[in-house]
Amino acid sequence: MSKVYFSTWNGELINNIGKPEHEWEESAYNLPAQYDDHRDSKAFIGWDGVSLFNADVDVIRLAMEYAAQYQEYSEACGRCAPGRWGGRILYDLLDKIARGEGSVADLDHLKEVGKSMQLTSKCEIGKTVPNPIIDLMVHFEGEFMACINEQKASKHYNDSIGYIAKITAPCTDACPAHVDIPAYIEGVRDLRFDDSLEATRQTMPLAHVCGRVCPHPCEDACRRTNLDEPIAIMALKRLGADWETDHGYDFFHPMEKKSMSGKRVAVVGAGPAGLTTAYYLAAEGVAVDVYEELPVLGGEVTVGVPQYRMPWEKYLQDIECVRDMGVNFILNHRVSADEMREFETSYDATMIASGTRISKKVYCDNERAEIKGYWGAIDFLDWVNLYEKFDIKTPQRVQEQQMLPTDYVNLTGKTVACVGGGFTSMDVVRCAIRAGAKKVVMIYRRDEQTIIRNTTYEEYHEAVEEGVEFYFHSAVAEMKDENNVLKSLIIDKFELVPPADGGRAELVKIEGASYELEVDYLVPAVSQAADLKFIPSEWELEMTSWGTLKTNGKDYMTSRKGIFASGDCEYGPMTIVNAVGQAKRGASVMARYLQNGEITLSDDEIMEDHLRKLKVYNKKEKISGWLPGLARQHSEVLDVDIRKFNNMEVNLGFTQDEAMSEADRCMRCYYIAMVQA
Amino acid sequence: MSNFIEFKINGTSVEAKKGETILQVARKNGIYIPTMCYISKTTPCASCRMCVVEAEGVNGFVLSCNTPPVAGLNVQTNSETLELERTNIMKLYDVNHPLECGVCDKSGECDLQNKTLEFGVATQNFTTREQHRPVEHWGLINYDPALCIMCEKCVHVCNEVIGDDAIDVKFGGYSSTIIPKNSETLDCTFCGECIAVCPVGALVSSNFQYSANAWELSRVPATCAHCSGGCSLEYETKYAGINGANEIYRVKNNFEFTSLCGAGRFGYDFENRALRDEAAFEKAVEAVKNAKAIRFSSMITNEEAYMLGELKENFGLKLFNEDARMFQEFMGAYSSISGKKHYSGSLDAIKQADAVIMIGSRIATDNPAVRYALTTASRHRGAKIVYAHPLEDALMQNTITQFMKYEVGTEEGVMALLANAILKDADLSEQERAFFDDLDFGYLDAECNVGAEEIAFMMQSFKRAKNRLLIIGNDLIAHERSYNIAKLAAMIEKYSDFSLVVVPNEVNTLGVSLISSLDKDEMIENVVGYNAEGDFVISSLSDADMAIPALNQQEGTFVSIDNRVLPTNVAVGFEGHTLNDILLACGIRHYNTIDCTKELSCFAGFKAYEFDTLENYICAHGEDNRGYLLDEVSCEADGVLESLSDMPEFNGTVIYHSNPVLQFNAYTAKTKQLEKDTTLRGSAQFAAAARISDGDTIEISYGSCSITREFKLDNDLKGTIALNPTFDNAVDAGRYRFEKSKIVRVVHE
Repeated sequence: MSKVYFSTWNGELINNIGKPEHEWEESAYNLPAQYDDHRDSKAFIGWDGVSLFNADVDVIRLAMEYAAQYQEYSEACGRCAPGRWGGRILYDLLDKIARGEGSVADLDHLKEVGKSMQLTSKCEIGKTVPNPIIDLMVHFEGEFMACINEQKASKHYNDSIGYIAKITAPCTDACPAHVDIPAYIEGVRDLRFDDSLEATRQTMPLAHVCGRVCPHPCEDACRRTNLDEPIAIMALKRLGADWETDHGYDFFHPMEKKSMSGKRVAVVGAGPAGLTTAYYLAAEGVAVDVYEELPVLGGEVTVGVPQYRMPWEKYLQDIECVRDMGVNFILNHRVSADEMREFETSYDATMIASGTRISKKVYCDNERAEIKGYWGAIDFLDWVNLYEKFDIKTPQRVQEQQMLPTDYVNLTGKTVACVGGGFTSMDVVRCAIRAGAKKVVMIYRRDEQTIIRNTTYEEYHEAVEEGVEFYFHSAVAEMKDENNVLKSLIIDKFELVPPADGGRAELVKIEGASYELEVDYLVPAVSQAADLKFIPSEWELEMTSWGTLKTNGKDYMTSRKGIFASGDCEYGPMTIVNAVGQAKRGASVMARYLQNGEITLSDDEIMEDHLRKLKVYNKKEKISGWLPGLARQHSEVLDVDIRKFNNMEVNLGFTQDEAMSEADRCMRCYYIAMVQA
Repeated sequence: MSNFIEFKINGTSVEAKKGETILQVARKNGIYIPTMCYISKTTPCASCRMCVVEAEGVNGFVLSCNTPPVAGLNVQTNSETLELERTNIMKLYDVNHPLECGVCDKSGECDLQNKTLEFGVATQNFTTREQHRPVEHWGLINYDPALCIMCEKCVHVCNEVIGDDAIDVKFGGYSSTIIPKNSETLDCTFCGECIAVCPVGALVSSNFQYSANAWELSRVPATCAHCSGGCSLEYETKYAGINGANEIYRVKNNFEFTSLCGAGRFGYDFENRALRDEAAFEKAVEAVKNAKAIRFSSMITNEEAYMLGELKENFGLKLFNEDARMFQEFMGAYSSISGKKHYSGSLDAIKQADAVIMIGSRIATDNPAVRYALTTASRHRGAKIVYAHPLEDALMQNTITQFMKYEVGTEEGVMALLANAILKDADLSEQERAFFDDLDFGYLDAECNVGAEEIAFMMQSFKRAKNRLLIIGNDLIAHERSYNIAKLAAMIEKYSDFSLVVVPNEVNTLGVSLISSLDKDEMIENVVGYNAEGDFVISSLSDADMAIPALNQQEGTFVSIDNRVLPTNVAVGFEGHTLNDILLACGIRHYNTIDCTKELSCFAGFKAYEFDTLENYICAHGEDNRGYLLDEVSCEADGVLESLSDMPEFNGTVIYHSNPVLQFNAYTAKTKQLEKDTTLRGSAQFAAAARISDGDTIEISYGSCSITREFKLDNDLKGTIALNPTFDNAVDAGRYRFEKSKIVRVVHE
């Protein structure tokens, strides 16, 4: 709910003109009435309408400035005839009226040009820019006519007023890393893969990774869904990255590295958040040292995500791209509390991006770590991946504890049960199949739909194809061992029971349905916790209730000045793209902090947060100007018999034809939003 | 699933192939939809928005150029609202467009002019501020942003078809403009394709600008005479001044479907201006009658080659042409395995390929048509392209996906390794299998310097491919082991799904090799040179004892890399004598040169077509209707692979005979606009090895030759092989292009 003076946002018409403020009708939308801590917004204008928070707004100038933004932010336009010239004419005509030289004919031309833009522009930005302008012309006709009739300038034409604009798109808004998705898709469509990759890397250095293993929240906000099916946004990201790699190019960086500022930053952890922080800070001319506990770079994507899903040699390209920006990596180095204290003087700031590397317990009876065959998902995946990707052998200690006959994870003839339901558990069961297990079982409390929603449709079906058995509505009640060797599990069965008074159905244990399942291994993959023992206790960093570092979720600074946190150790176990998004923002805040010692957000970031709150994607919107019924392309997947017992990449990616057809489906839903603050 | 989609345009049932757009189907069916930015050979620019159509049940307009139809759709290409919006777009296009049609080069053939008239836009009733942007001068190309309508055609062809990727759109709404990509000025191969596709007068030839109006020029359809690509072009001619001779003013091409390199486009003025000389003619007739041999180049028509054959028959003289003879031998050995005369591939097959091995050529400069086809394959098919050569080529980086660097001279070994990998599971005879089983891989890996992992990487990257192709360049044809290499190539073509293209060296190497019965060149006395060296020289170049017309002054045919017989025509007159006159004087029957066209041997695949029946145009929908394709001819397949010879070694400073962009031979060297860089170009490593530095005058000795050149340091080059141009200093045709050489700095006293 927002208090407005006037609003046409999203088809809502609220007109409080002439009413005393206490009688104002409120808008149902989360409009950015408060720009930031110390500034109110006076007006908000965007693709879907205009909202005035103040009666004193100069609407003619507001319309003119909005048209000007369309000219200004032309990296997203200038690509079609109606937009290119139409946008300019809108601006020139509005300016003419605003400065007091307009005529009635100009109003007609504005409407005529606006309509042409709405009908024929290439992207939504051109189609929607006339919308709020025409709204203003209709609802404030009197003010326009006054300027024309009296040939006078609009009321604040010569004042210095702050207008802050931002380009967005539903997909970009939904992407935690706010990747300029329409731009990278346009690069594919135009066969300009370097442009495509640079568009991605503006906010996302891990193009290979997020072209393969991103859960793509963007696709849930794809406007094409309103017409037929969402664009295969993630898979199209891979093309630019593959192009660079295939042709052996030097890395295409979207920005020039600034000269060294003399500032230094330490980053703890070389996973997605650490790499992202390092990349964007290094680009700002900051000397970055990244400390990594493991013998390899890349964090969980390296030691967690299996080779068949994310080939190491491709991830290495992303990592090398970060290194190429001038980042220094220190491997095999677990940072201690003493070092953290020292970092405060030897570095100008520190980013903690240490992830969540402790597998949480299942919470069943007799759940004891010393039982052989009880194997945390993180540790299990570590040893699988270190061997498969780097030939690092499983040490004697682990071999003994987990009864391995070899110096790698070999489960031949064994039965493996995994408790989970998220990506990590999927990786566990599919790796177990590849390690030769006789029987692999996933034990999950909820149902098939939920597991698909929590992972992806493809991931679940590929696992089923490979022979993983899914036990839904099930949970482990007890581990049974003989001399500390796991023998079996007691499995409880549950059912969904709708409560008598209606409301959400609850899982209720089915009495008498429990049974015993013989297993050799139980791998808990329910969730992970952050290991933050290396942080000096006297710092007393504020924590979340789930044991991660607390920030305000906007600037990513912890409760201690100069100490930042991003990624899983801040948010809890989440996606790669979430870690990247947080770290990108964190790096941006840190860069300014290094300059002036202040924690600030840029206007672009403030707008980003406002729009995220307002939500750019409107799933009820009716689409016009596009032919529905064009099917989404699906890339080829290796046949199950070929892939099941090895680490060959399962998803082969799009062929060029598929990629181009898919890119052509993109509707380029760019929008401009602007605030008068 | 059916590969065809049925739908309706304006009530008529039409059919779309999978992947076709509404616009493509409309055009195929002769239904007009106006466009300003569409060009058939690239992905849609989608910038003009003129091609919007209405579709039943769909809100708003649908863009026809990038939208494939769905079954049962009912499309309407015309209505009042469509007309209104298209007119509105034309009004926008016309806003502030300079009113300089009176002097603009494009006037008379301008898309903007045509569409403005078509939509009846006669006035401009709103305006924007003028931007006053200066004209850019980029060498052979001028760019006027004020005239530019930002259709982006130039940017698309430069990247998608040519591969230079040298221009970019500078985004900026109203102030959007075309700029050189990542460079202050235009740094490209100057193919001029951007000029060709420009629908307005924004990108123009700096040489042609303001020299003629479009409607004053006569068009002569012809075939480019510079390489074996067989590109179609039109010489545009006009009488230069009162009583002036006909002159070529410029060259144009059907840019909608075909491309042209800069040599074809800007290197047209190589005609022979020599006057008629009866005395020289008499001497020539005598020289021919008494000659022991005629040495000739492949820069002649099929008809000339045929007539030279007649001279051989009548006078019992020998015919020397090492370039064509090497090609003939290569194809002979190929036929002995494949059982047919012609290789299976073509430029079109290259464009369609998704896996290509290009071996033994610096292809971007040797044959731009092949390069462009590879660019198309790379961009549009995502082709994996392996480029096997001792020298990297920066021009090819954005096209190739694997550079397979081999040691100079080891082409036979590399081919054996490739064939071994490709034919691993092929159904070979025992004897053939034994050849591969007997290969000494350790030795080959080491000598060729091509590792097993490189071959494995290649095979892996080709895994998903559906159209595979092998392209053989001149280094393999001119190799001393060419016959065994040819057999290996034939094996690959015969036993795998690879098709094959062999790149002929000169414009008509292929034709000559099919027509002429050639003898091995030997150092004998009394040789008549025909466009080649000899004791008596008959040539279309200067310094001839008797002048003959150049290839832009002749009718006749070539055989292109596509095995297509292509007609060419007279653009500029020639008053002197021709080869036909010599034959007439010698009493050998022909009346006209082109009477030979129908005489060309069917045993080589020629058809008995009269020259005048040969068409020379590209259809409205892009089919090539020029000349005809050679018939396939079967022959006996009785060849066997020989075991490999020892790999030769090339140590020290090696030079590679290779021309800079746009230069091919003495004819291109003669033209006014093409740059003539005669330096030896080498890397810093080469300079260090040869102990020379940038700008040094050096003497290069190889074989029995010695030449003096300036050395130029080229940062795009790597390794210890330098590039030696041949366009200004012909190297014996048919010679292996790598030479061990001695390089000495010439010290100026």
